[in-house]
Amino acid sequence: MRIGVSPVVAVEEVEVNFGSSRAVDGVTLEVLAGEVLALVGESGSGKTTLIRAIQGLQPVSSGEIIHAATDRDGPGRSGVQMVFQDPTGALNPRHTIYEIVAEGLRIRGEGDDEEAKVAEALSRAGLRPPERFFGLYPHQISGGQRQRVVIAGAMVMEPRLLLADEPVASLDASIRGEILALMRLLVVETGLSILVVTHDLGLAWNIADRVAVMYLGRIVEIGSTEQILQSPRHPYTRALLSVVPETERMDQQILVGEIPDSRRIPNGCRFHPRCPLLQSGTVPAETANRCVSEDPGLMSVDDGWEAACWATVGVRSGSSAPLPDG
Amino acid sequence: MSSLAAQRRRATAGRVWSQFRGSRQGAVGLIVLFLFVAMALLAPVLVDARELNPVFARAAGNPQWASPDVFGPLGTDHLRRSVWAQFVWGSRVSLFVGLAATVLTILIGSVVGVVSGFVGGRVDAIMMRVTEWFLVIPFLPLAIVLASVLGRNVWNIIFVIGVTSWPSTARLVRAQVLTVKQRLFVDRARSLGAGGGHLVFRHILPNVSGLIVANATLAVPISILTETTLSFLGLGDPSSPSWGKTLEEAFVNGAIIRNAWWYFLPAGLGILAVVLAFTLIGRSLEEIADPRLGRVR
Amino acid sequence: MSGTLLSVRDLHITYRTSAGPVPAVRGVSFELRRGETLGLAGESGCGKSTLANSLLRLLPGDALVEGAVEIDGEDLFSLSPGRLRAVRWVKEAIIFQGALHALNPVQTVGRQVREPMLLHETASSDREAKDRSRELFEKFGLAPRHLDAYAHQLSGGQRQRVLIAMALACDPDLLIADEPTTALDLMVQAQVLALIEQLREESELSLIFITHDLSVLTYVCERLAIMYAGRIVEQGPGHQVFSSPQHPYTRALAAAFPTIGDQSSRMAPSGLAGDPPTPGSLPEGCPFHPRCVLAQDRCRDAEPPLRTGVKGWEAACVLV
Repeated sequence: MRIGVSPVVAVEEVEVNFGSSRAVDGVTLEVLAGEVLALVGESGSGKTTLIRAIQGLQPVSSGEIIHAATDRDGPGRSGVQMVFQDPTGALNPRHTIYEIVAEGLRIRGEGDDEEAKVAEALSRAGLRPPERFFGLYPHQISGGQRQRVVIAGAMVMEPRLLLADEPVASLDASIRGEILALMRLLVVETGLSILVVTHDLGLAWNIADRVAVMYLGRIVEIGSTEQILQSPRHPYTRALLSVVPETERMDQQILVGEIPDSRRIPNGCRFHPRCPLLQSGTVPAETANRCVSEDPGLMSVDDGWEAACWATVGVRSGSSAPLPDG
Repeated sequence: MSSLAAQRRRATAGRVWSQFRGSRQGAVGLIVLFLFVAMALLAPVLVDARELNPVFARAAGNPQWASPDVFGPLGTDHLRRSVWAQFVWGSRVSLFVGLAATVLTILIGSVVGVVSGFVGGRVDAIMMRVTEWFLVIPFLPLAIVLASVLGRNVWNIIFVIGVTSWPSTARLVRAQVLTVKQRLFVDRARSLGAGGGHLVFRHILPNVSGLIVANATLAVPISILTETTLSFLGLGDPSSPSWGKTLEEAFVNGAIIRNAWWYFLPAGLGILAVVLAFTLIGRSLEEIADPRLGRVR
Repeated sequence: MSGTLLSVRDLHITYRTSAGPVPAVRGVSFELRRGETLGLAGESGCGKSTLANSLLRLLPGDALVEGAVEIDGEDLFSLSPGRLRAVRWVKEAIIFQGALHALNPVQTVGRQVREPMLLHETASSDREAKDRSRELFEKFGLAPRHLDAYAHQLSGGQRQRVLIAMALACDPDLLIADEPTTALDLMVQAQVLALIEQLREESELSLIFITHDLSVLTYVCERLAIMYAGRIVEQGPGHQVFSSPQHPYTRALAAAFPTIGDQSSRMAPSGLAGDPPTPGSLPEGCPFHPRCVLAQDRCRDAEPPLRTGVKGWEAACVLV
């Protein structure tokens, strides 16, 4: 799969504040045409808020979100559609599958060939024959099928970008692969881009071209899936990977505690109070000072690969701290 | 509206009707209600209205306090009037006041609740303060004032009941709207580009309609009983009989002490049957409106 | 002390519903030794949670139970109500999935941890219960001040720790954990798993760990049992079952969680077509055959029993 260079959406220095809490704290990100970008992070990292902002469901406090060639503004951007974590909740229990899939078309006022379009979207989402599903209600189909209906309801709008919020987290293990395969297939078949929010690194390995890791409202590392998942540079990415049960593993680095409150973002590097690298004492004193006092921005590691860490990227020319597993 | 959509709408209406007929409790409720409505509508055919007049009753030579086996079909009261006549004619006022006041209550309550919950913000704050203001006004003094200012007729009674009983419906509907608004499918519709009208009519209302229907079925008996209360206090319409008035007169004139059960029992059972019918109908409508409550067949 | 703690023999659990009987568990047998850890994996509707609840007799009244469950030599289903209450929490305890809903919002969590100790008189006084709960909290990485906190003041991970502390308040022999990490973040999940690992090392605690995430199980469990449509379809040593499964279903389940770095799963998510069967209407023969890539004609005829395969552990498939 070749990835086009033009972005379908560009997020520039976006901040989303809830009162004094900075849920998204300066994120710059581009989703390129035809790629799957995985936005990885724990709850409290701001990843869900960020995609809600991209969808227009959440107003941004500052910064800009620029959509390529959108005809309309507001949440009704037909070029951007959403897939939700909980398909059961995302489907109105009182509407039939047909009404659900046709809803977007009706809102946009595209009454022509409604039935044909709905049928095509359903079969494209793997619900075949589509007519069999028209009159059913969400509670009459399985969880995996519900997620397919959500995807069909998004795809009927012919979006350029699909925002998927933990699309398989609430599904059974065996269904998971099927839905992911469907998402990958849609990308290949239609040239769609997908921004998928997940805490599941295996999902990223399964379908993503690029991975961005978020911590406390900021992207701390971004690069190709291979770069991020096989030779991560940021200590937070390393820690996350080390605890994935599926990795034949590095030494486990279980971080103490949880993501701090976004009302009290630590000074300096926001990760420094939990940073295992800093705690190990292998970071030179000069760099360690920087970690606690100066906020690192994303710095280039390699072509298309950036990480926000003074200790592993910031200091070049031989003085950087030794990496634990080389 | 495209013909396809219209076709679908007709199909939905047909489905609701066939499901409703299929539900036993709904059918029972509907039959009972139908009987009472028929009785109310046919009152002039069934009983001569003059039988409600004590002067007429005396002139006709009716006995006083006669039990049903002496004077059919339901005996007479202290003024020699036929209880049957009062029962038939009373159903008109009771049903009419009950239904009309409920419609008014539910209409005001739902509109206030939906607008308040959906729009939120300052609108919500203002509307809820007004609602609370109405909620804390003592009902009886207001009813007495309104009734004496507006005059004692059926329409004013309906107005009094409607204006005083909507706040609880409004608060209930608002709470449900707030819950439904948080649901993911509303987010989904929003991200499909849905505007406020679409969200309210396609997503919010269908999901609060069950509550509104349930609330309405509860409001009908309350309205009927409120009408009774007002009649009891002498604020009812003096020119028309109602079940409430019958009960009150029976009570005041010692029907209980005289063991004249035929005087108060028909009106009491009438209220009970109508209330029950509404509850049954409401319950099965709710079941149809919410596919998840449907039984596995 | 390494005798058998729990023995389940030919357990059948059927729910009586208006639509007819729905078999949830259809003939499950296993034994658990003291100090042993058993992982129970399967999809929703496979009967794993029903099985877990039956081990504490927590099933609803419309469930028909046949077969035998013995805990420490006592027949669970013939226990008197008084004795049953003593067995619950003192002998076996359970951690439920929803960490928020399992805690009472209007009581401090400390009080809820003390409650079972006082109820079962494993602590002789309030003071002793307080000391013990402080000890438990410390052990599970919770600060003593958290004892006075209410559930909503704690994070998801902290609540899950409180639940574990609560479950262990009376020092049970058996702990049943029903999807204890499912709703948790990766790092918090790792913390909880490490905690469970630590418990296992320090005590003679037996553990039944239930989840749909096979990869988590191999991490904590010596023995793994895979359930499908109310039966165990494969049972054996944890790591081996995960890395070289015998049953096609286990293989699909294991492949659902890719190994990062494994090129064969890169850009190739692996799933299983079809949906889990509904317990009320199971397919004829092997219930897995409609979804099985290796299904043959004979799979449609009879349900294969669990038998020991060439690799040395049991699986219920004609190909074993």
